[in-house]
Amino acid sequence: MHRAIAALLLVLAPVGAGAQGIVRGTVRDKDGSPIASASVAVRGTTLAARTDPTGRFRITLVPAGRVHLYAAAIGHASADTIVSLTGGDSTLVDFVLAAEPLALPPVDVISSRVPHFGERPSTSVADVTSQDLDRRALNTVDEALEHVSSVQMINGQTNIRGSTGYVQGLNSRVLMTVDGIPMNQGDRGGINWDLLGVDEIESAQVLKGAGSSLYGSAAFGGVINVTTRDVPNGLHTRLRLSGGGYGDPPHSIWRFRDEQGLLGSGDLAASYGDDVIGGRISGGYRHSDGYREQDQEDHLHFAARGRWNTANTRVDVSGAWADDRYDVPLAWCNRGECADSGQEYQPFRVDTGQLGARTDSKKSYVAVQSRTTLSPRFAWSARGSWFRTDFTDVRPDMNEYGIGNRFGLAGQIEARPDSTRTVVVGLEGTFSDVTSDIFGKHSQSEFAAYGQSEQRAGAVRVSGGARVDFLAVDGGSLTAVVSPRIGLTIPTDARARDGGMLRASVGRGFRAPTMAERFVHTFALGFEVVPNPTLRPETAWSFEIGHTSAPMFHTLRLDAALFWTEARDLIEPQIIQVLDSSGTPHINIQLQNVVRARIAGIDANVIAAPISGHLTTTLGYTYLSTRRQLSGDTTSGPLAFRPPHQITLSADYTFGVAGVGADYRFASRPETIELEGFVDSRRVAVNVLDLRASWTRGPVELRLLATNVLNYIYNLVPETLAPVRTVTVTAVWSH
Amino acid sequence: MRNVVLLALVIAGCGGGLQPEPICAPSLVGLCGTLRFQGTIPDSTDNVFVAAYATFPQTCNDLIANRRPLIPSSVPYTDSVADYSVALAPDTYHWVVAVWKKVGSLTLTANDTTLLRVAGYYRDPADTTQPGVVTVPNGSAPGDINFLVDFDKLRPATDFVTCTAQ
Repeated sequence: MHRAIAALLLVLAPVGAGAQGIVRGTVRDKDGSPIASASVAVRGTTLAARTDPTGRFRITLVPAGRVHLYAAAIGHASADTIVSLTGGDSTLVDFVLAAEPLALPPVDVISSRVPHFGERPSTSVADVTSQDLDRRALNTVDEALEHVSSVQMINGQTNIRGSTGYVQGLNSRVLMTVDGIPMNQGDRGGINWDLLGVDEIESAQVLKGAGSSLYGSAAFGGVINVTTRDVPNGLHTRLRLSGGGYGDPPHSIWRFRDEQGLLGSGDLAASYGDDVIGGRISGGYRHSDGYREQDQEDHLHFAARGRWNTANTRVDVSGAWADDRYDVPLAWCNRGECADSGQEYQPFRVDTGQLGARTDSKKSYVAVQSRTTLSPRFAWSARGSWFRTDFTDVRPDMNEYGIGNRFGLAGQIEARPDSTRTVVVGLEGTFSDVTSDIFGKHSQSEFAAYGQSEQRAGAVRVSGGARVDFLAVDGGSLTAVVSPRIGLTIPTDARARDGGMLRASVGRGFRAPTMAERFVHTFALGFEVVPNPTLRPETAWSFEIGHTSAPMFHTLRLDAALFWTEARDLIEPQIIQVLDSSGTPHINIQLQNVVRARIAGIDANVIAAPISGHLTTTLGYTYLSTRRQLSGDTTSGPLAFRPPHQITLSADYTFGVAGVGADYRFASRPETIELEGFVDSRRVAVNVLDLRASWTRGPVELRLLATNVLNYIYNLVPETLAPVRTVTVTAVWSH
Repeated sequence: MRNVVLLALVIAGCGGGLQPEPICAPSLVGLCGTLRFQGTIPDSTDNVFVAAYATFPQTCNDLIANRRPLIPSSVPYTDSVADYSVALAPDTYHWVVAVWKKVGSLTLTANDTTLLRVAGYYRDPADTTQPGVVTVPNGSAPGDINFLVDFDKLRPATDFVTCTAQ
């Protein structure tokens, strides 16, 4: 006990002012160009910083003496250096990083909750870099996530290794965080990908596998953290203009309009900052005619961010507001429902009875977070957030509305008692409420405590911890869920800094039913959807073992993981028969905890740079084997909306100021869909090729993006056409 | 780049994707065939649809209430020839007719005949002065129910049935 108290006092004890200094400097490549978003850290401490767009960084509270600094950036070899720092002084350190496309990206944001030493964690993490976002000239960040191996977006619902499937937007088994702050909707638990303008976003990280031991509910199937652009020093402005058009249906009998469908957007951002304060405002507007009948969309967004730095504390205040009005092509037209030209179905047209359906949606968030470094071995952070969604579905037969709020408070402590151990503990509370004519008026509270520790033993690192969540609906009794996790990483080539590594982890995850799942009362597919307030949390044990190879032949690196999830009480829609007061049977739909499921598979990736400095290619393959079994039923079958095979392939070739690239996505035809027999079961494999080109000169960038260039016509969910060929030209001016 | 070219070739060879259904789809229960169009399409044209009657209508009310399908969908009429298909319940139909519709809203009453004209009908191959009779069996569709639509000879309902409105 005395030793523990002494250790605590040791890590808490602030270093005397005379014994600390500031390390500042730059991170550049061999050509002298600044590297933005590089990680710079003092090894063995909680002290770290990211470089701004000019490549500059600044770390305070650095203990005087010999300081071991480490810098890493995506696509570059990492570098270590030791500098001597005099107390009360500042030292300038300039890193030069060599281009190394096979280098493992530095662990950064998602890992803010994962205790680590700057190396890779024990679970699979995929990165969507700022270059990935820039070169694709996207409108929303989910368009970039589609190219991440084992990630599939199904009509806005996110699947990481087949986690979510598709349930009409009523839930998500993937958590989205923005700068670490949970941003799933308070009512449905879904994700609003267009909450932030894509120009606000710097990068994203995808944590694959159960993340509940750190992030709680919704992280059942993984976490996607979006990192927004920081406010750099100096005055900066950025203008982005984009315009393009949609391809026509490939068959004349599917034509639904005489004119070309167009889309366009404009975004403007301005920021100013110095070493103490900084702020940025941005706004943008987007219009799309849509690629099918009744698919027009107008989107307006504003965002603001401020930062304040003191010697040992950083405070960030951020917020965003978005207003959408979009037509809703609920389902494509089947024979007899529209001017179908004698066709059995018309994928570009909607049922005449749906004409006029649209959604008006407003969403906004405000967040405050601070991080204080009390000593090189101890830091704490706190945050508060409010996320609000407000939608009105305007339908020909009736309107529906919903207003949801999600309030969050959290505190976290990071400690490094010694050079071999790092610890993260935290508390978190979330309150969500909804007022809606389809969900009713309800609230849900979640309180959690978590702790994780990582211990180095030689070259081996062992991490472990747990999270306890308490859930209450409408102020009722608490339900407790415990989510433990343990992980292991073992270098397979301890001599090389960037060598191979084995990783393994096992953990328990859960997902609390959303208020939408518990209380939804509406009509779908012609059936009444009835509420089920007694829904229980879904739970699962997830296991993963993976290996990242060292670079092979100086041109390629392999990564492969075997994953296995055993889930219980999965919530899925069921067809039920009920008798009314007169004894007449009625068919209803209800969400129930009825499914035991297994999701297992392989997630394999290859990155290759066969022409160093010019050509980079990545190949990802995911195999999914799923089984579902209804309670009380011995028969089993595959889970719905899980394609057994997924392939992603990307190639980028750069020459001077220009570059060209291509992305290819394949997903095999899902074996089953929900409510098969009640909807048009027509579905095909996904087979999409995107091409892009870019040209950069000084402050100006021009990008050409052609998505689905083969105009492959497919659907991911029943009776809903996926995007057709779209060609977009984007111009960006940065100052 | 070689990878990209190879990939494009592989994908181009894959084909697939959702395709239009054949007009006489294997799953169709109803009628299908080809319409030939002649004459000048009136400016007031809203659409042209194909309907069928199990018994020849006698009144204007029969013309509306016994029409199958009750709410028909348009066939493409801007080309000289167009394939069509109509889903119908298995039955024997004594009048298969192409109906021209003027711009305006239908009310599913006899007043609809003010907006509708008979543009052509399927004729008995053995006696082309008479309407042809077609049987729709269970689970399939008779094909080759072909006939002419003449926009220059649009005939009011009163040429065929007794109406109080026209």
